[in-house]
Formats: sequence, structure tokens, C-alpha cells
Amino acid sequence: MTTPTDARTTEGSATVDGIRVRYLDSGEPDPGGEGDRPPLVLVHGTGGSIEREYGYLFPMLAARQRVVALDFAQPVPADGRLTLDQLERQVAAVCESVLPGRRVTLVGYSLGAVVATALAAHRPGLAVNLVAVAGWAATDTQQRLRGGVWRRLREDRSPALASYTAFCALGGPFLAAATLEQLAPLLEGQVPGDFDDLQMELNQSIDITALLPEVRATTLVIGCTHDQMVPVRHSKALFAAIPDARYTEVASGHAVLFERPAQLVQLIDRFNARPSAQPAGRVIPEARV
Amino acid sequence: MSRTTIPRSVDVLVIGTGFAGLGTAARLKREGTHSFLVLERADDVGGTWRDNTYPGAACDVPSHLYSFSFRPNPDWSRLFARQPEIHRYLRDTAREEGLLPHIRFGAEVRDARWDPAEGRWTVTTTRGVFTGRFLVTGAGHLSDHRLPDIPGIGDFGGPVFHSARWDHGTGLEGKRVAVVGSGASAVQIVPEVADSASQVTVFQRSAPYVVPRADRAYTETEQRVFRRDPEAVPAHRAEIFWYLEAGFAARRAAPHQLAEAKAAARAHLERQIADPALRQALTPDHELGCKRVLISDTYYPALTRDHVTLEPSALARVEPGKAIAASGAAHAVDVIVLCTGFETTEPPYARLVHDADGRSLADHWARGMEAFASTTVAGFPNLFLVNGPHTGLGHNSIVHVIEAQIDYLLGALAWSRAQGDRTVEVSAAAQERYAADLDRQARGTVWDGERCRSWYVDPRSKRVTLIWPDFADAFRHRNGTFDPAPYAATAG
Repeated sequence: MTTPTDARTTEGSATVDGIRVRYLDSGEPDPGGEGDRPPLVLVHGTGGSIEREYGYLFPMLAARQRVVALDFAQPVPADGRLTLDQLERQVAAVCESVLPGRRVTLVGYSLGAVVATALAAHRPGLAVNLVAVAGWAATDTQQRLRGGVWRRLREDRSPALASYTAFCALGGPFLAAATLEQLAPLLEGQVPGDFDDLQMELNQSIDITALLPEVRATTLVIGCTHDQMVPVRHSKALFAAIPDARYTEVASGHAVLFERPAQLVQLIDRFNARPSAQPAGRVIPEARV
Repeated sequence: MSRTTIPRSVDVLVIGTGFAGLGTAARLKREGTHSFLVLERADDVGGTWRDNTYPGAACDVPSHLYSFSFRPNPDWSRLFARQPEIHRYLRDTAREEGLLPHIRFGAEVRDARWDPAEGRWTVTTTRGVFTGRFLVTGAGHLSDHRLPDIPGIGDFGGPVFHSARWDHGTGLEGKRVAVVGSGASAVQIVPEVADSASQVTVFQRSAPYVVPRADRAYTETEQRVFRRDPEAVPAHRAEIFWYLEAGFAARRAAPHQLAEAKAAARAHLERQIADPALRQALTPDHELGCKRVLISDTYYPALTRDHVTLEPSALARVEPGKAIAASGAAHAVDVIVLCTGFETTEPPYARLVHDADGRSLADHWARGMEAFASTTVAGFPNLFLVNGPHTGLGHNSIVHVIEAQIDYLLGALAWSRAQGDRTVEVSAAAQERYAADLDRQARGTVWDGERCRSWYVDPRSKRVTLIWPDFADAFRHRNGTFDPAPYAATAG
């Protein structure tokens, strides 16, 4: 029996700025019927990793197209700052190493959506399509307020940090049906490291507003209706400013990869099959169930 | 409208009054088509929810999802409603949608034939002949119960009945009862029967995976919110849908998700069964999802009761007063309850439906069931199969699939009318392409391969013919909207 992540999935690393960036590559899917889709490159969010964020999407999307995902790596020497530019170079390096000469569909989640969007603006020859999930263009007061509480809890080594993060990440409707017992694994959480701190800091000062009109990629913006970390207005702003963008919403919190992974798989899968099936400017209604 | 005003020749004939038949009829009526009849072999509506009245009968899909999106019911008593409540919902649907005048009860279909000269279907029933320009079958996957050929069963000397034809006249109080099978019906029946029978023996051919049910009653407050806030039911429905939808990854055999699902089942078994030998006998030997994954909090505990015995082999033969297992063990019993499932991969209706040359659908399907968009069949013009081939789900609600199919067939009917009552016949090439695509889509799933023998897989060709091998929402995306292109080539 073969599986979507069978033996063909390979692990490797690309080197950029003197550091190694780990990636997974699903390889090409079984031939037949699906036409020629661009490979998907999955970019995780703040404090994430391939396994933590794309454990569901990677194998499910790999059934119908090649999927590559990467883990951001901490730049050395760490001079106390992380820049968007560094993360963009890591994504580009993986693309060039694994998929030389190929145009790809960049898929970014949260901070990964910011990175993917900026990279799409800077490298139109690389990103033919873009999916921005729960991304944003410019950090606002609500995000700074949350970031401030997070930093304070972190500095105090507060045991409340993981619960606070879950409280912000999960949507109200999802929590309404969950019990604390079910959430227990999330609430244990792991203690953030230096690299997480750097990413949180970067989060607090994002402004890619000027880049958005430069994005040439055919774009799908996905907002999360009940998002308290990156409120849905930010996704609407991306949709408004990226020229060839269409927009849809998922009724989840920020933790959409955890709450609604199957919905996200299908949205991305359909978009990558026919990116322009919906015209630019279209608000696509959420699936009827 | 009185019954006599609807003639025997109508626009649309519908077979069956389960979710498929009633859903089709309700939508036809709502869209303003009144020239239709629904043929029902029994004397009441409800399909499988009319027939399965066994103790403990309940749905394994939460009720807010296992109901029509166009008929939300704020009053569901629990997450997983029991059979009487679901049956009542379907009866209310028939009455409140104005369908009763359209239903012909006691009309069991004996033959259906396409008449190319008239461009109509002729359907012969036990209540006479009916004709319709279109024929919609809503026979369902679980409508014709399967009776295994067990040697000696005729000489047993006591009551023998199938779970879907429960004999309520046979009291089980103090009786020794054999329950044959360990599928979805058996796990609901065993805990109930164990409460009254003096002894229960469960014949298990293959141990199922069982996971927690997490059922609960809705509070009065929740029901009031569902009644007053029009957004509340759809939102709740969507939460359930997408939660279940994620379960497809395990069916797709994504390694991490499949391992997680197995760990959940294993933990449930270990939590509820302490005895190592019983635990071993209840450990499944097939891949999770190949057969239906069962949800029960009461099945395992029932098996630990002193008067309940698990016989870990099939029922091989019967002697007067005795049920003898394949293992050789003989069990003295008074009543035999057959929880042996349904005819699924070779549905009986396929032998009754014929093309213009008199060839049956069953003949067309010698390699297994197949239909374009899971709904239409080349050579069978103006026929729509609802809940037919490639529609079953192991992880989500069949009502979602049925509603998508109804949207599709309503689109086809509208197209036909707009084209001057053009015949709707799919091209054989389109059907082949679709079937090949689904064969490919099924590859690598838990249903694929020699190791999976289940009611989802055709035993003749080993093809996955009953299951829709993808997400449930993908079914609506792909098959919920009629596109005339694959029909355009055929002569109108």
C-alpha cells in the first residue's frame, strides 16, 4: 500500500547565508488526470515547523501535486534581529535548490504568509501563484497589544504562556465544542526558544503595504473569521491591495491548520488546479455544507 | 390535491422514501415541479430508518449534519439521535413538504425499462405500471438486508431474524441469544439485548475498530438558540462537518493521521477491556477504515458482563437449539439475531433496471458499479442514481452527498427542459474517464489492495465501487453542479 507520504518523500537542506534550511519534498505525485500543476511550497508561521503546522496539509496535498515545505532556520550570527528579508531568502533558497527553474505556488500561513507575499512581490519569476492564509500587511494595535502580553509572560517565564497562546489562537466556535481535557496537549505547550522570540519581535513591526501592488502572482487570500491573532480585516486588506487576488473565509480562529485542516486542503487544492477559475476581486462564499 | 389527480404518467418517477427519495421529492416540489410520483414498497416512509427498529438503533453521524440542509431541525434531542427521532424527522418531511399525495405506498418495483420510442421509463410495480420521463432511484446502500446462507438454519427450531427486520413479537427476556456479526448494528444491539437476555453470544468474524461516541443531549437553552437564531443551526452543522471531514486523512492512509486514529481506538479498547484474552480477541486484524469504524461507549463494557460471551469466529452452521462456530464451539441458544449487514456492492435494484435492449444495470456492472458523476449511466437515458455507486463515505454524512446529487439532477432536468425536453444521456467515454479517475483516486487509500475485504469493495473486481474515495466536500465540488458537456454528444 502506498501513502501520500510514501518512500518518495525526501528530506534535505538548502544552504543560505551560511545556514542550513531543512525541507521536505513529496516528489511528483502519481501521473494521471490532474494536469500540470505548479509545485506547492509551504511556509510556516511564527514558532512553527513543517510537522507542527503542515502535518495534515503536506500529505493530503501531495496526493495531487508536488509539495515542498521548509523549516525556517535561525540566522547566525544572531545579531539580535531577524528581518523579513532573511526569511524570504530561506524560502527562495529552498525553491532554487529543490525546484530549479520551476515557477511555484507559494503557500504561507500567518508570518509565513507575510514572507510568501513579500517574496512574491520581489520575485515574480519564482511565484506564479500565492496563497496567503491568515496573513497581514502591517502590524496594528490589536497585534501589538497581544505581542506585549506575550512578551511579558515570556520574560516572567509564566506557566500561563501556553494557555494564553491557545486562548488567542483557537476560535470561539471551536472552543464551544471542545473540553479542557481535549485541549490539554496544546496547553502544555513547549517553552519558546531564542528563534521564537526573534520571530515574535519581527511580527511586531511588519509593514509590507508598499509591496502589495507589486505582487503579480495569481493570489488566493484566506481569512479566518474568528481570528484574534491576525484579525480577519488584515486578510481583507491583502485582498484589496494585491491586484490579482480573490478572497475566501474559513469560520475558524487563527489556528485554522488545526481547526479546519480539511477545508484548507480543499481550498488550496482547487486553487492550484485552476488558479484563475475565480476572477480577481471575487469574494468566494464559504462552502455549503 | 387528492391522490387521484396525479396520473400514472408523470415527469419524474422516484423510487424510495429514505433520505434520497424524500430529498429528491421535496426539492422537486420546492422548485415547482409537481408532476412526480414516489414509489415506495412499504406502507410508510423512512427507508432504512423505517426498517431498522432494533433496540438501540441510532445514527453514527451527528443529527444536525445527518439531516437536510434545507430542513434544519432545532429540536434534535441529542448529538446522535436514535432511530424513532430520525424516522419522525423523515415522516415530518414527507408531510410538511406536501409529498404524501405523491407517494404510492405498497408499490414495490419489479421492473423498470427505458422505452426509446416514447422517451420514457416504464416502471412495473406490485401496484401497477407507471411511466415517467425521468427515473430517480433512491434505493440506498443499506436497504436490502443480507441473509447469509448458513447450513442448518432452517432446522434451528427457534426464532431467527435479521436486525433490519426485528421481530418485536419475540421477547428476549431470559432467553439465550446469538448475535451473529459485530458490525454497526451489532454493537448497538448487544448492549441492549444484554440487559434482558439471560445469555448473549456474539459471533465475531472480524473485530471492528471502535472509538468513543461522546454522545450528549442538547440542553433546552441550546435548542432555544437553534430555534430563534437562524444562523445557529448552519454554524453548528458546519463545525460538525469540518470536524468529521478531517477524518478523511486517515482513510487516505496519511501515516500520522492513520496512526493517531488507531491509537485512539486502541486506547478506547484498553480503557474498557482489562482482560488480556478478550482484548486480544477484540484487536482488529484489518487496516482502520477498510471496514466501517464504529462508535460506541457501551459495546465493550457489555462484552465484559458475565452472561455475555464473545465467540471470536463466524457462525458456521446451526443445529436444533445450537449455534456452532467456525472454531468448532457449540453454543446452546434460543434465538438467533442476524446482524449480517446489507447487499451493497451488487444492489438488487440493478437487476430490475433495464436499458432499451433489455440489458440490466447489473449486467452493465459485471466489473462493479459505476456511474458518471456517481449519478448517470451510459445506455440508461434520463436515469439518475442517488446514493448509488461511489457515494458512500467512511468519515462524513451521506446526506451531504445525497443533497449534492439532487442539485445535480435538478440541473440536468432544467437543462433538458430548456433544450426542448432533450434526452439526458451521458457518453460512455465520460463515464469511463470518471471511473478511471476514481480508481486512481482510491489508490493508496485504506480500501485499496488485497488486504481490504469489506462492503465498500466489489468482491469480483476488487474495485472500490461503493465508497467516494475523497473528501465529502470534494463530492459536492465535483458532482454537485450539472455540466451538459459530457451529455452533448448523445443524440437528443
